[in-house]
Amino acid sequence: VARHVLRCTVNGEPVEALVQPYTTLLDALREDLGLTGPKEGCGTGDCGACSVHVDGKLVASCLMLAMQARDRKIRTIEGLGTAETLHPLQDAFVRHGVPQCGFCIPGVLMAAAALLEEHPRPTEEQIRYGIAGNLCRCTGYTKMVTAITEAAGILASKGSAR
Amino acid sequence: MSTMKTTRDVKGVGVAIPRPDGPEKVTGRVQYVADIQPKGLLHAKLLRSPHAHAKILSIDTSAAKALPGVRAVITAKDIPHLKKKAPTRAHAVLAIDRAVFVGQPVAAVAADELAIAEEALDLIKVEYQPLPVAVDPLKAMQPGAPPVADAGTEADTSEALAHSAVAIAKSDAPAKAVNISQQARLTRGEPAKGFAESDHVLEKTYRVPMVHQGYLEPHAVLAEWDRNGLLTLWASTQGSFNTRSEVSDVLGIPENRIRVIPVECGGGFGGKIRALCEPITAVLAQVTKRPVRYVMTRKEELEAGMPAPQVIIKLKTGVKRDGTLMALDAETVIDSGAFSGTVLAVSAVFLGSMYKWPAFDIRGYEVLTHKPSVAAYRAPVAPQTIFAIESHMEQIARDLGLDSVEFRMRHLIQPGDPMVNGQPWQSNGARQVLSRIAEHPHWKTRKQWVAAAGKNGKRRGVGLALGGWLGGLQPTGATVRLNPDGSLAVLTGQVDIAGTNIALAQIAASAFGVDTDEVRITTGDTDVAPVTGLSAGSKTVYTVGTAVLQAAEDARRQAFDIAAAELEASVHDLELVDGKITVRGMPDKGITLATIGKKGNLYMSKTPPVLGKANPAFSQQAPGFAAQLARIEVDPDTGEVTIHDFVIVQDVGKAINPIGVEGQMQGGAVQSLGMALTEGLMFDDSGRLTNPSLLDYRKLTAADLPNLETIIVEVPSPAGPFGARGVGEPPIIPAPAAIGNALHDAVGARLTELPLSPERIALAVANGGKA
Repeated sequence: VARHVLRCTVNGEPVEALVQPYTTLLDALREDLGLTGPKEGCGTGDCGACSVHVDGKLVASCLMLAMQARDRKIRTIEGLGTAETLHPLQDAFVRHGVPQCGFCIPGVLMAAAALLEEHPRPTEEQIRYGIAGNLCRCTGYTKMVTAITEAAGILASKGSAR
Repeated sequence: MSTMKTTRDVKGVGVAIPRPDGPEKVTGRVQYVADIQPKGLLHAKLLRSPHAHAKILSIDTSAAKALPGVRAVITAKDIPHLKKKAPTRAHAVLAIDRAVFVGQPVAAVAADELAIAEEALDLIKVEYQPLPVAVDPLKAMQPGAPPVADAGTEADTSEALAHSAVAIAKSDAPAKAVNISQQARLTRGEPAKGFAESDHVLEKTYRVPMVHQGYLEPHAVLAEWDRNGLLTLWASTQGSFNTRSEVSDVLGIPENRIRVIPVECGGGFGGKIRALCEPITAVLAQVTKRPVRYVMTRKEELEAGMPAPQVIIKLKTGVKRDGTLMALDAETVIDSGAFSGTVLAVSAVFLGSMYKWPAFDIRGYEVLTHKPSVAAYRAPVAPQTIFAIESHMEQIARDLGLDSVEFRMRHLIQPGDPMVNGQPWQSNGARQVLSRIAEHPHWKTRKQWVAAAGKNGKRRGVGLALGGWLGGLQPTGATVRLNPDGSLAVLTGQVDIAGTNIALAQIAASAFGVDTDEVRITTGDTDVAPVTGLSAGSKTVYTVGTAVLQAAEDARRQAFDIAAAELEASVHDLELVDGKITVRGMPDKGITLATIGKKGNLYMSKTPPVLGKANPAFSQQAPGFAAQLARIEVDPDTGEVTIHDFVIVQDVGKAINPIGVEGQMQGGAVQSLGMALTEGLMFDDSGRLTNPSLLDYRKLTAADLPNLETIIVEVPSPAGPFGARGVGEPPIIPAPAAIGNALHDAVGARLTELPLSPERIALAVANGGKA
């Protein structure tokens, strides 16, 4: 099978990769571009661990072919914030001690970031539905909801959800 | 002086400190096994049996081997040390001549790319002769049922040992039916007489299906051999030393030739204690002389992981009209799947001795079936057992018109009372957590809340339940080193999943007398770390915490001895304040920890380096109890349950780190709320799983739940560090019973089979409250 050239923007930088026609966006990110923040928890779009943004929309990257991302803008957890300058969502997750095993966390944060872009002041119900596509087995979600609520307040007071 | 920190007021035990690996985890930089990509990596796939029971007549791998990019195709014949009668699941690396569950590995492939390995699986030709299957454990335990294990296979009791639950006498009676792999019977008093003298006899059968632990990271391992014949395994495991032992035993490699590096574990909950895919991956790496990585798919996890067993409990009780307990008769059947390895004792202890039954006859059976073999799942068999006994106790109280909390409290054990095996209950907070939840406004106002049900046609109910865990034990080691900068380096082999490392650092800080910021803790691999037990059984803080405490005290003593010599003072006159050991009352006469650390690190220095160590073993368990309360709304037409409020009260002895403790309480409760409402592995009559995806195996999401209220109770344990008890297991135990009791309160139906699905509830309502 002939490989295809994938050109797209990932976390603000233009990238190129040779991928198989059947390669998923998740595998291209993880295996070809070395971005292992997005995780594969199920491969069928049910757990949300692979969540990334494609042109600003939340996407389960295990359900999208890599070539479908041609010329589009991808944002992964690696592009949300850095350890030195955490995104307010990440900072709130750390302070509230949300991560336990941590495997679901990159996906949850991308879902939460997408939610806040759409609803800068979400209700508890909007938060709960906003991350309902992300399974977490460690936390029971309570601290997640608290952290997202708090981060939303901080971001809204700064006047930007980015 | 008031700003100075003495040992008593350092930032240590009891302070809510976020775990230090948080930033790594929220930025996606933490590496799990599947994230590691060494040069020359090969990808493994396993061909799995499509039959629950079949004879393997032939396997032809020639076409698969000929596929370009395939580096190895192996079958059982290629593995020299394979035991014909596999005593555990781990030993059944590949099926030899018979497959005993759907999804059992039959052949293995390593290839340059995952897609090539997958293609190679399609090219392997296996000829099967399907055999009769035993799927239902109640049928499988009857004489004449199709046999699962080869005759003469020993029962595996290591799970019971690993959890150190409690010893119970094994029944002497020989197993009559082929598929009963373990059995035990415990009796006290004269149950027949007790039942004859009872006014109220209640008999029900409770059923809980197999459920999956549900960790988000599927099983994964990376194996590589070096030129000296040393095997290195990067594993997602709850216990690297245990993984080393099992791989050694299965493959016949001495333990000193194996190094297990515990990589960040993306959740285990008991499912990543026992070896599963490590041996086959090691074999593929040996054959190909390349690093080989194997990652299970979610479908493989659900079909062929090591879930929690199906548990069926037939429970009969006899009580007097005034609620006096007379007799209990119970039969617990644990469906272990295709291999032995469950725990019988937990069920017996909590059925027969959470409340003081004067007479009982309790039988337990572990039964083999043609299904995936099971393993531990957070408090193995406890939520299932508590679902039975706490549903039952609530029903007795309601039948007799007794207050359900007073009824429980009247019969609840106290420390010192005998357990079913005659051993005394250790100090515990069972009564305290039950009292505390009964004081909660949601319980006190339950009648008003139920009466205030809205006009939406939904019915309301409030329920509670109590449950406990005896607490695991395992010998363990730790070292505490003083660095040249005056900080502490703590080393254990403890795999940190839940946030135990920060708690251990806090223990070291308080024991030594420095702030937690001055402590860095490392989880070492099996080549470098002191022997450390499993991250399981709610015993990390209790046992490893004790080792760290003792090692930190040892290091402190050494530092004080050095300071005493340097300061020409008696150690009894010294104190540690703000990182400096001074003569009491003479703050200028002192030596900093950094100086002591530096002296131990200098060329030609005569000062020994400070290295505290401890390697304790344990005998005294510290039971942990939790009580949980649910306020629910039920749609009587659809059977849909909405959890309105959920309260968790738990005795943790001492909350070393309240953030971590709350996280454990909330996470554990949600796992068993899933067990209560939505989860269950469903097998058809041929032994095939009918819901092998996370769409059909429904775990609870954020949208299914309210915020969970946590109330920490602290009844200090006599032997735990700073009075701590195990925290992980108790919160998963009471929820199914609490939900079942709330459901009964709402619709008047006593449902005895989990999950309490909308279909079952709607049907019970339609039948006028009869399940």
